Amino acid sequence: MPNICLKGYPKEIVAKDGTPIVIRPLVKEDEQRLLAFFNSFGEEESCFLRADVQDPEVLHTWIEEFDFERTMPLLAVKDDDGEVLAMLRLYRRPAGCMRHIGHIRILVHPAHRQQRIGTWMLLDMVRLAMDMGIEKLVAEFVAGIEEAGIIGAHRLDFFEQAVIKDYIKDPRGGYRDLVIMVKNLHREWSDF
Amino acid sequence: MTFRSVPEALTEVPDVRILWETPRGTLRLVPRCPPEVFSRLELDKGIGNFAHYSSIIQKMEVFRRVASQKDGRVALAVVGERLIAAYLACWYPSPEDRWSRLGELMYEMGAIEVSRNFRNMGIAAKMFLMTMEDDFFEDKIAYMNGFSWHWDLDGSGLTMAQYRAMIVNMLSKAGFEEMYTNEPNIALRQENVFMARFGSRVSGRDKARFRDLRFNIVRR
Repeated sequence: MPNICLKGYPKEIVAKDGTPIVIRPLVKEDEQRLLAFFNSFGEEESCFLRADVQDPEVLHTWIEEFDFERTMPLLAVKDDDGEVLAMLRLYRRPAGCMRHIGHIRILVHPAHRQQRIGTWMLLDMVRLAMDMGIEKLVAEFVAGIEEAGIIGAHRLDFFEQAVIKDYIKDPRGGYRDLVIMVKNLHREWSDF
Repeated sequence: MTFRSVPEALTEVPDVRILWETPRGTLRLVPRCPPEVFSRLELDKGIGNFAHYSSIIQKMEVFRRVASQKDGRVALAVVGERLIAAYLACWYPSPEDRWSRLGELMYEMGAIEVSRNFRNMGIAAKMFLMTMEDDFFEDKIAYMNGFSWHWDLDGSGLTMAQYRAMIVNMLSKAGFEEMYTNEPNIALRQENVFMARFGSRVSGRDKARFRDLRFNIVRR
C-alpha cells in the first residue's frame, strides 16, 4: 500500500451514544482484540464470516499472513480500552485491469450497531480510496443479515449494482442473496 | 495610525515581507493588513466571477469589515503598490455556527484565495505559514472548512480529489490535521474536508470539548 494511505491516522470519531472512538490501521498486535471482536458475532452471523477467524489458530495465521500490500485493514477501536468495534478492509489489486477498483468488506460489533460507526468507517474509506486513485468501490452484503450495512452504504451513494440470488448458504442450509453495491468515485465534475 | 499613501501604508504595516520580484512588480506578503489600507488597494483580475467559479470575497468592504472585527485578520499578497494577488481572511465563528459554542477558543481560517494569474507559485502556503507564526494561535483551535463548491477546478486544472489533496497537504504543513465532523455543511459532500490545528496551550479538556462538538455531543 502506498504511504499516502497511512497519513492522517489515527482519526477520532464519536459514536451516537457519545463513545469516543479511534479509526486506525490494523496492526499485528491487535490479534487478541480481534479475536474478541470476531467472537462477538452470534452463531447465525458467524457463518457469514469468510473464514473461521473465531478460531485463535486460524486468526493467528490469518493475521500473520495478512497481505498488507493488497489489503488496507482499518479498525474502529474504543479510545479508552482499545476494544475493537468495527473492521473495514479495502482490497485492491496492485496492477492490471482491475487496479482502479476497490473491494470493501465491513463488519460492526453487534452490540455497537446503529451508532454510525460503520458509516464513519465507510466515509473514511471513500476518502482514502479517492486519495489512492480508486475509481470504483464495490461492497458485498448478505441480504437479510447485513441490512444495516446496505442502508449505510445507500446513504453514502452506493447503489445496488447486482443481486446474486441464492448465492450464500446459511447454517440451516437455506440460501440467501448476495447484494453487490457500487460507488463511483468521480474525480471531477461532469461536463453536462 | 495614519496612512499617508499606499506605498507608505504598506511599508508601515509590521512584518511585511518581500517575496519575489515579478514582471508586474514586487510581490509582498502582508501578514495583517489594517482596515484603513483596503480602500487603496484593488483585486487582481484573476479574483472575481468566472464561468464555474466565483471568488468568496470580491469587495474591499468585506476585507475592511473582517480586519475591523475583534481579532479579525486579513493577510495579503500584494504586487507592486496596490494589486491584491492573494488573500487569507480569518475570524471568530459567527454565532449561528456550531463552532461558536466554544467561544473564542475557536478561530476560523475563513477564506483563502490566490488569483488565477498568480497560482503555482506557493503563495497560499507561504501566506498560511506566515499567519500561523503568530503566538495568538497557540491559545486557539484554528479550523478550516474546505467546501468543494468553492474550489476552482476549471482554473486549477485539478480534479476534485487532487484539489482536496492539495488543500490537505498545504494545511498539514502548517500543523493542521484532517478531522471528522457531522457538521451538516461539511457532511453535505464526501469530498468536503474539515481541518483543525490545536495551539500548543490548548488544554486536553478543551480538545475533548472540541471532539464532542465535532459530533454534536453534549455531555452533562
